[in-house]
Amino acid sequence: MFQRNGWTDGLPIVPPTEDLVRRFVDAGGLGPADVVGVEPVRRRRITAEKVAIAAVMAGCLPGYVPVVMALVRAVCEPAYGLHGCTASTGGSAPFVVVNGPIRRALDMNATHNALANGSRANATIGRALRLLIINVLGGIPGRLDRSTLGHPGKFTFCVAEDEEDSPWPSLAAERGVPAGASAVTVLAAESPHQIMNEWTADPREILDTYAAAIRANMLTYSIWAGHYALVIAKQQRDIIVAAGWSKADIRGYVFETARVRRGDWRTVGKSAVAGRKDEGRVYTALRSPDDLLVVAAGGPAGGFGVVVPPWYGAKSLAVTTII
Amino acid sequence: MTLKVLDPRLDAEGEAMTLAMPLPSLEGATVGLLDNAKIGTAVLFDHVQQILASRFGVREFIRRRKPDSSRPAPPEMLGELSAVDAVISAIGD
Repeated sequence: MFQRNGWTDGLPIVPPTEDLVRRFVDAGGLGPADVVGVEPVRRRRITAEKVAIAAVMAGCLPGYVPVVMALVRAVCEPAYGLHGCTASTGGSAPFVVVNGPIRRALDMNATHNALANGSRANATIGRALRLLIINVLGGIPGRLDRSTLGHPGKFTFCVAEDEEDSPWPSLAAERGVPAGASAVTVLAAESPHQIMNEWTADPREILDTYAAAIRANMLTYSIWAGHYALVIAKQQRDIIVAAGWSKADIRGYVFETARVRRGDWRTVGKSAVAGRKDEGRVYTALRSPDDLLVVAAGGPAGGFGVVVPPWYGAKSLAVTTII
Repeated sequence: MTLKVLDPRLDAEGEAMTLAMPLPSLEGATVGLLDNAKIGTAVLFDHVQQILASRFGVREFIRRRKPDSSRPAPPEMLGELSAVDAVISAIGD
């Protein structure tokens, strides 16, 4: 029935029976009619029961519900602009980063295959939000969801930070979450772009590779500044840490290096728009160094990392909520 | 065995929105043109306006451009457009 009615992402779902939904609502510590968030454009008051239904359908366990609730609160913040990034032809997906003790409690994956299949929690927390967008917002492809292509992260795009194997403060800590608390950060993001550089011991050279990928994104996709995320795996982290660099140092370096000139559009087939304004103008990828979200995650071997670009500059901003 | 499941969907709050009835004629009408602020909308509306005026006798146009393409038109802008006979909203990607 759910497949026939278009109430899924195409994959099988767990039927949201009354008993299961009640258990999930209880796990969130709320009443079924309590409002978790409001989406003003489509005039949706999202209740705990509807969030619980999506979480059941996605295959979550009850313990995941507080994370899903926090995630729904985050995307309902006006700065996130849920309607715009859901409806846009740009085809973004919510990129979710989980921090704090709850990662361990839920057995979330932060190491091998960090951005893909690896744990039930990563897979289903992200999926719960997608099912909620489909059913509660009406984010159905070809209807409210007008994505031209979308990307695979629209099924789930959820990573836990590898806090145990990183000397850096967590993303949540850097965004003001108190020590010991768990939090979720969400960014409307385009598909991740993997980079490789395992031939240097200089953190600048490693970050030059990330900056090159960001510049390519600015020229080939969108030039507008906003939140970018970097997911840096262990091998590169070790080099950067050994050189004494902090996350703040990374942000500062990428802010300085990830920039293009408008005229560079001519090198990628966009001559028609390059000349509409001053071609000498320099565009930065980040409005300030603080726009860069730096996440430690990934398996122990391989000089890899990932750039996660924003959907559309600063039209949607990353939001962090405490779980 | 019957399995009872809950509805995952959620209706919008408030009154249902419906399209207004079509006008019997555009002759002498005032038409609002709501630009979603994308790069090509102004050109598109120039063209639409010319057709509506020359072929259909539209008398007056009220053109407004949204401040942000990915967010709804501000209430005051919708208020300005509420006086017209018909509104065309367009994306000019």
